[in-house]
Amino acid sequence: MTSELTPQEAARWALRAGLPLGDDRHAEVAMTADHIHSVISTLREIDFGETPPASFYRAGQENADAAV
Amino acid sequence: MQPFELSLTEASRAVRARELSPVELTESVLARIDAVEGRLGAYVTVAADAALAAAVRAEREISESGPRGPLHGIPMALKDLIDVAGMPTTASSHVRAGHVAERDSRVAERLGAAGAVLLGKTHTHEFAYGLTTPQTNNAWDQSRVAGGSSGGSAVAVATGGAVFAMGTDTGGSIRVPAALNGVVGLKPTYGLVPRTGVTSLSWSLDHVGPLARTVQDVALVLSAIADRDPASVSGPVPDRFAGGDLRGLKVGVPRNHYFDRVAPEVEESVRGAIERLAELGAEPVDVEIPMARYIQAVQWGLMVPEATAYHERSLRAVPDLYAADVRVLLEAGELTSAGDYLRAQRARTMMRDAWARMFDDIDVLAAPTVPMTAVEKGQEAVEWADGTTETVSDGYVRLCAPANITGVPALTLPVGRDRAGLPIGMQLMARPFHDATVLRVGRIYEESVGGAGRLAPLAA
Repeated sequence: MTSELTPQEAARWALRAGLPLGDDRHAEVAMTADHIHSVISTLREIDFGETPPASFYRAGQENADAAV
Repeated sequence: MQPFELSLTEASRAVRARELSPVELTESVLARIDAVEGRLGAYVTVAADAALAAAVRAEREISESGPRGPLHGIPMALKDLIDVAGMPTTASSHVRAGHVAERDSRVAERLGAAGAVLLGKTHTHEFAYGLTTPQTNNAWDQSRVAGGSSGGSAVAVATGGAVFAMGTDTGGSIRVPAALNGVVGLKPTYGLVPRTGVTSLSWSLDHVGPLARTVQDVALVLSAIADRDPASVSGPVPDRFAGGDLRGLKVGVPRNHYFDRVAPEVEESVRGAIERLAELGAEPVDVEIPMARYIQAVQWGLMVPEATAYHERSLRAVPDLYAADVRVLLEAGELTSAGDYLRAQRARTMMRDAWARMFDDIDVLAAPTVPMTAVEKGQEAVEWADGTTETVSDGYVRLCAPANITGVPALTLPVGRDRAGLPIGMQLMARPFHDATVLRVGRIYEESVGGAGRLAPLAA
């Protein structure tokens, strides 16, 4: 089960992630975060068994990803 | 016909035959940009003097020792996420004010080595985090969206403002604007084209690829930029269908997902194009798209936290410089958890394996690129016949995202127009590294229907 975030909770979670939000941001961020959560939480239905993450690491190779 | 109207294949042939000089071609394209750019907003920067100087150099080299290849002396544009030494990479964002790239991206370097002439940098939805590119207007109807995020590249190509252009694609950002502007776009296999020096939206989903007016055009560009990425297991695989028809080719026709909540005119055009493939000898095969219920969840579960991670510093330093729609997504992304991200990664593994099994029975998968043609600017939602509504962005991503998640090559090409005259695109997908297969099928289709490579009807 999941529950919706209040604006105050969103602000607190963001602060804990190192992102202080101005008061005027709380409600909009909470609403967007809830929407994102509602979309991605459907993955909780899946029994992943032994499936590993798709990301992988290779020792000794240059990182070929996009440069910052 | 004026030089700016030529497709890359035609222009390249004319340059090689010394019937057209790179200077004439570049001057013609620059004049076209001057004539139409005010109505389109495709470009962030046009580097006319540098382009002309490069064209003069190309002309001299070609007259002395012949062309280096098909891109030599051909004017093109880069989405403004792609670094070019000494030029700003604005990402169409105020956040990047004052930025100057120190060195060429790998793609710019390869296009430069092939002798292509850089015209300038094209608009993206800010940092590629959106599907409309609000700065740019659709090539066919300027009151409608260009699509995004490579909107500037698609509109430039569709209107003769570039012979070809490069874009990036994280959830459809090459294919969506290509489809909405009636041009061809290729999202190559993940890892086939290097992303070094290209501003990231989401490392695990980002792809760099070409937009041009014909399938043959994008094939020529891919040959110049493709890589055997050190992180990938395989290079491109040659196409095994060498003939001029499609006999023996199995075309997967999705039973689910790709024709759900699709505008009737889009469905009709794409099914018509699939019938055409069958007339050319292909065998249609019904297929079930695996794990369709989880496509959006995986796409968001990967993209949202990765984008937020990429922007960590600037989101804290200059949050007010982001556009409102991008800022709130980046902020809300801070609230996703490691568990969310790992579930998306694990589901991606399952989806990749399930898609590999699906491709055991088919050679290509054919589907609409986007469920609806270009919407009016400012329209935020679309209502479907089943009574559901979705945001325009979600609609445009929905049919493109599977190829980003699975990494398979995905080509979009024009297959018709709706009653308003707006272009409709069809996607062709294949197994990873079988980019040559989608290009071959696309080319045979294109040749069979004729009329490929025409510009959008926009008077000078």
